[in-house]
Amino acid sequence: MASERRYDPVTGQYTTGHQWDGIEELSTPLPRWWVISLVVCFIIAIIYAFLYPAWPTTKTYYTGLLDWTSHKELAEYQTEARAGQAHWREQIAANTVGDIAASDDLRTFAVAGGKALFNENCAGCHGIGAGGQQGQFPSLIDDDWLWGGTLDDIYQTVTHGIRNTDESSRQSEMPSFKDMMSEEEIAATAKFVLAMSDASVPVETRNAMPGAELYSNNCAGCHGAEGEGMRMMGVPALADQIWLYGDTEEAIRNQIVRPKMGSMPAWGTRLGDDAVKMLAVYVHSLGGGEK
Amino acid sequence: MHTHASTALGHASAQRPRTGTPHAATGRFRQVKTALTVFLLGLFYIAPWVRWTRGGESSQAVMFDASAQRFYLFGLEFWPHDLPLLLGLLIFSAAALFFVTSLFGRVWCGFACPQTVWTDLFFAIDRRVDRMLGRDHPLGQWAKTGVHVVVAVFTGFTFAGFFTNIVELGPQFISGEASIVAYVTIGVLTFTTYTLAAHARENVCLHMCPWPRFQAALLDPESLVVTYQNWRGEPRARARVPLRPEIATLDSSAYIMPRVANPSVTGSNAATTYRGDCIDCGKCVSSCPTRIDIREGLQLGCIGCGLCIDACNTVMERIGRPHGLINMAPELSAVGGCAGKSGRIRLFRAKPMFFASIMMVTGSAMAWALATRSDVSAAVEHQRQPPFVKLSDGSIRNDYTLRFSRLGVHDSNVEIRVEGLDGAAIRLSNSAQASFTQGARRSFSDRVMVTVPKASVPKVRVPIAFVITDRETRAPVARLETYFWGPGGVR
Repeated sequence: MASERRYDPVTGQYTTGHQWDGIEELSTPLPRWWVISLVVCFIIAIIYAFLYPAWPTTKTYYTGLLDWTSHKELAEYQTEARAGQAHWREQIAANTVGDIAASDDLRTFAVAGGKALFNENCAGCHGIGAGGQQGQFPSLIDDDWLWGGTLDDIYQTVTHGIRNTDESSRQSEMPSFKDMMSEEEIAATAKFVLAMSDASVPVETRNAMPGAELYSNNCAGCHGAEGEGMRMMGVPALADQIWLYGDTEEAIRNQIVRPKMGSMPAWGTRLGDDAVKMLAVYVHSLGGGEK
Repeated sequence: MHTHASTALGHASAQRPRTGTPHAATGRFRQVKTALTVFLLGLFYIAPWVRWTRGGESSQAVMFDASAQRFYLFGLEFWPHDLPLLLGLLIFSAAALFFVTSLFGRVWCGFACPQTVWTDLFFAIDRRVDRMLGRDHPLGQWAKTGVHVVVAVFTGFTFAGFFTNIVELGPQFISGEASIVAYVTIGVLTFTTYTLAAHARENVCLHMCPWPRFQAALLDPESLVVTYQNWRGEPRARARVPLRPEIATLDSSAYIMPRVANPSVTGSNAATTYRGDCIDCGKCVSSCPTRIDIREGLQLGCIGCGLCIDACNTVMERIGRPHGLINMAPELSAVGGCAGKSGRIRLFRAKPMFFASIMMVTGSAMAWALATRSDVSAAVEHQRQPPFVKLSDGSIRNDYTLRFSRLGVHDSNVEIRVEGLDGAAIRLSNSAQASFTQGARRSFSDRVMVTVPKASVPKVRVPIAFVITDRETRAPVARLETYFWGPGGVR
């Protein structure tokens, strides 16, 4: 079978020396550049496997000579991004929320940063568009504020939160009137409260209602004689059209018997002061901000 | 006219690989080609250096500002949303190319194509070096390569200069402070210029370019192409062989065989005794940038530059014969046929006129679009989370994101009104007003709030429009249609 390797004059190539029944095989080697490329690829692959994490071990993995991790790379990008923002961040830190909102450039930066922070930290309860959630979390874009809607109020609320363990957090509590009033009295009060926000009910009619006296005796101390609320204590206004916990008589009765009160974490210690400032400026810009 | 189709590919492979540059030809075509080459190269090399005052600042007249996504052309400024104009320009250019080709053959290839222009420049460099140092000087090739590289680098540098301030780019480039992108751009363009113009040359036209492949579809029997007048030239023989008597009294303007002439131009008996005008000197081949033999007829390798015409005319003059053995003529004139009934070339033919009509349509559409082009880009987007807000007095507010940008150099002072909504009040997030000033060449983006009092709140979603007017001229600037969502939702 094997025969001499010989030169084939027709093709100008050598044979492999194989022969079957007189049929020979030409030796057509792979092009040299191709072989070299393949070998170079192998070498690069081996070098790569030593430089970078490539091999799992039983408990951990081989970390590679370069000690590269995607976490480190991310941290580098983040450091770089922070360095790029440093100029603005310093100014945010150095100025009050009022000054930030008054400066076009700083406000633009704060609103953009505040939006990102909001979507990451606040949207879970207040919603992506800060529209709140009926029955649970107040809307931040309307003009009704429990604890005040000026820049400083919002800054204070975001920094320390509401009804939490932070020393400076907003604190207040509505008592349950379950044991203080009879069911009839509670129903009458609820009817009166509902009438306060209904402009179609004349004042005389409303004041003649049985709940009027009950309201002024039990509720007006906090909620105000005209249902205007009290922001110092986070007391909601009852004469307006915004009802966080529902605008039906039943919802109001429930609120008198088993008052719901929201709480909010303190963000100052979690996010840092400059982030909270940006958040305050952002929330203030959403339509409800007060002077 | 030929029984076998001759292709440039077949022709080029049958020939030995060429070396060196083609012989210089002198004449009308060479003059036009030189003038166009100088003009086009001048346009390219000088354009980025031209300054233009824009918004009170000195700036570059022609500038592709990639990072800001702007293109400046003297007084014109283009934004990404003007891209349809580019489409129109491309269609117009294609139609213009087809139009010119159907009338005059591949004059684009022969005179205006960048490959031709730069190759011609490099040919000129080679000839100049040969003339200065002598053909066989040992340093000749080094000198040529040196100049080639310098020209290539300068070409790359100039190209990069269309995308950045070229005045600053020079010192930055030399001191190593230019951006990576600039160096890569210059490097790539240097490389392509050097390989394509100094080495690949005519091989780009013969083997790489798709354009010659469909020239046949664009030509018609009356298109003017570089044509060897077979009837006049054949049979070829040395100059001392006597001339065929029927072509002895030839008018120099004739490209059509005289009607009296003997139609059998290559008669076998005639070849032994008489010759045609072609003395087989080979000048048409040696002067050809793609080194084809035009005497084999119209072929893929012919770029229509007409340098063989110049070369041949020079020879004709020397032997005392009229010009035009090779000339720009309809292809069929070579064998005594001509498509035109009267033997004349009609300009108003179906194919060129079809392309001309496309040029007219796209050209006028573009001119109209450019003239009436809005200098404003504005968009409004309804905020859907939540779709509406109830305020404490029961009124309903909808929020929108407005984006506004305006071409030009002046600050825009504009005001927004809302149409189609009774009692609506409108304001921006940061002010109680509904007007703003937008700095020149900057985009404005803000939250726009529309509030409707309780009494006139629409039950459902209603269509409204924002109207933006210029506060100084009171002229309407933009009208944006959107919806106002009432508490009832869509229905």
